[in-house]
Amino acid sequence: MFRTALLRSARSAVRAAPRCQAAMARPVARTAFFQPKPMTPSVYCQAVRCYAASAGLSQEEVLGRIMDLLKNFDKVQDTSKLNLESHFHNDLGLDSLDTVEVVMAIEEEFSIEIPDKEADAIHSVKQAVDYIVAQPDAH
Amino acid sequence: MSSSNPALRHQVIRIYKDLLFMGRQYPQGYDYFRTRLHKAFASQRHLEDEAKIKEGIERAEYVKKEIEALYYLKRYRTLRQRYDKPS
Repeated sequence: MFRTALLRSARSAVRAAPRCQAAMARPVARTAFFQPKPMTPSVYCQAVRCYAASAGLSQEEVLGRIMDLLKNFDKVQDTSKLNLESHFHNDLGLDSLDTVEVVMAIEEEFSIEIPDKEADAIHSVKQAVDYIVAQPDAH
Repeated sequence: MSSSNPALRHQVIRIYKDLLFMGRQYPQGYDYFRTRLHKAFASQRHLEDEAKIKEGIERAEYVKKEIEALYYLKRYRTLRQRYDKPS
């Protein structure tokens, strides 16, 4: 998982490197002569991910990982009802203790810690996905 | 579980999480521990009285300490077995 992400970012970094150098050299050139078309350097360097930048989890990826997690959860018998809108209690037949277990598993999957209050508010797959997407340090 | 008092509810959930976390190293396996823990908590779901719930939390704390002691004992026995091998 981590290795593929690393490879991907390395590949994109290689692809973006020459353009990046051009962008870096630009400010010096700009002082020398006027450029008719002002470029936006931020577009060039977006492909290179800095260490401090967020991983940028997409919603589909988060959803896929939560789905896999729930599929492997032995108390979910009816996997046909599993989708973005499914509610833990009404659709999947989990009680509040099972929900706690699911939230714990989600915490581990994305290596974050969800505070009690927020964890208590997660009752459906959609809420979980929204919460994870909103977390900058989830990965 | 108490839905009347959110503070107590959070306490119960927290101790449930703590116990689950400790159960990972349970000798009979995590699944064994988890199903039994779930049953134990679910059997107390009818409790409404705050004092009773607090009592239940106390009991859970006690169980937590018991499990901790069990792990210490297990480690002690394992180490002892390794050091005291009859030559």
